[in-house]
Amino acid sequence: MAHCTSFPYEPVAEIGGGAYGTVYKARDTESGKFVALKNVRVQTDQNGLPVSTVREVALLKRLEQFDHPNVVRLMDVCATPRSDQETKVTLVFEHVDQDLKTYLEKAPAPGLSSDRIKDLMRQLLCGLAFLHSNQVMHRDLKPENILVTSQGQVKLADFGLAKIYSCHMALTPVVVTLWYRPPEVLLQSTYATPVDIWSTGCIFAEMFRRKPLFCGESEMDQLGKIFEVIGLPQEEEWPTGVTVSRKNFPAVKARPITDFVPEINEQGAKLLMQMLTFDPLKRISALNALEHLYFQDEETSNQDETL
Amino acid sequence: MTMMTLQDDLTTAAAKGNTADVESLLRRGAAVNGVNRFGRTAVQVMMMGSWPVAQALLQHGADPNVADRSTRTTPLHDAARTGFVDMVRLLVAAQADPQARDNQSRLPVDLARENGHAEVVAFLETLK
Repeated sequence: MAHCTSFPYEPVAEIGGGAYGTVYKARDTESGKFVALKNVRVQTDQNGLPVSTVREVALLKRLEQFDHPNVVRLMDVCATPRSDQETKVTLVFEHVDQDLKTYLEKAPAPGLSSDRIKDLMRQLLCGLAFLHSNQVMHRDLKPENILVTSQGQVKLADFGLAKIYSCHMALTPVVVTLWYRPPEVLLQSTYATPVDIWSTGCIFAEMFRRKPLFCGESEMDQLGKIFEVIGLPQEEEWPTGVTVSRKNFPAVKARPITDFVPEINEQGAKLLMQMLTFDPLKRISALNALEHLYFQDEETSNQDETL
Repeated sequence: MTMMTLQDDLTTAAAKGNTADVESLLRRGAAVNGVNRFGRTAVQVMMMGSWPVAQALLQHGADPNVADRSTRTTPLHDAARTGFVDMVRLLVAAQADPQARDNQSRLPVDLARENGHAEVVAFLETLK
């Protein structure tokens, strides 16, 4: 990993912080453009940076070669030794000056058109399918890290950092939102790429509702809110070896998703339910979601493009 | 850990596009043209896609013509380069100078053109 020698980036504001390090909005003084600087503090030993960090950074750099339109560019990575025990790793990402949260808040009533939602969802799933096909999971997908350019292009940010951060995350409790978190993570069971599909389902619903679908205040409350919609899963679906018992929750039945997302069309509702499936192994994948009938039936969506 | 001041909080909220926080910090006495620990004001770092944040800051008297101390980039340069036409219009309505030049002698309209933002180019050209 290169040392931070010529470093033309000047921080202008702090935009994120936590146990793992700090995120800054910064300006590239050569091009004048904004970038996002992510500093991660990493423990080092006599062999230098841990193998896991070097591997994750190498993976992010490899992804960069594909130049995927729906993920942010990684422009630079460098390391600054702070002491014998600690090195600061700085990742320089493209900065997009709008996130999905702002985009949804700005949309005048009655909200985004169904075609606009379909387009956003297609791009979001393309970005995810790309990450997942490279064995990268996002793990913390939410409207704040789904970026939307002024031209309506979706770009995922903050992916692939989970593993770089994780050793520090365990040390300090960080306040992170529970609202997009899937049941297997809330239950502290094993998890993999389906976590991102759950989050995508929550965000899909939010695009119609313009407010989050499940706003839990604790892990248990979050699970309760999820079951009020999808119903309490069957005993045999409950993961084994988790401390939280199914008996803690009332035996509620699934309610029609259209009670919560009334504006969604029939195929959209079907896709949403395949994303909000309790069992991660039965949950739809990003690639299969892109093949879903929801994206095939074009309704009126081609009309705008031919104008 | 560095102490966060009201000014730091205001610029952070503006950069994150958090209108409710921007408004509450201004009510609590954050100076709208005060600089954060990086020497930047809220309008200089605000999320360009968030006109509600811009509107809150400008209504409280934010100066839209403050240039970046390193690159002389103004908020109108940033709005034009990123292509947010609502933000461009809002800044111009608040007397942002379309003839401001950055340290490479570029006008906001030059950056809009370089980045293919036709609607922004068209609007800025009507101001000549």
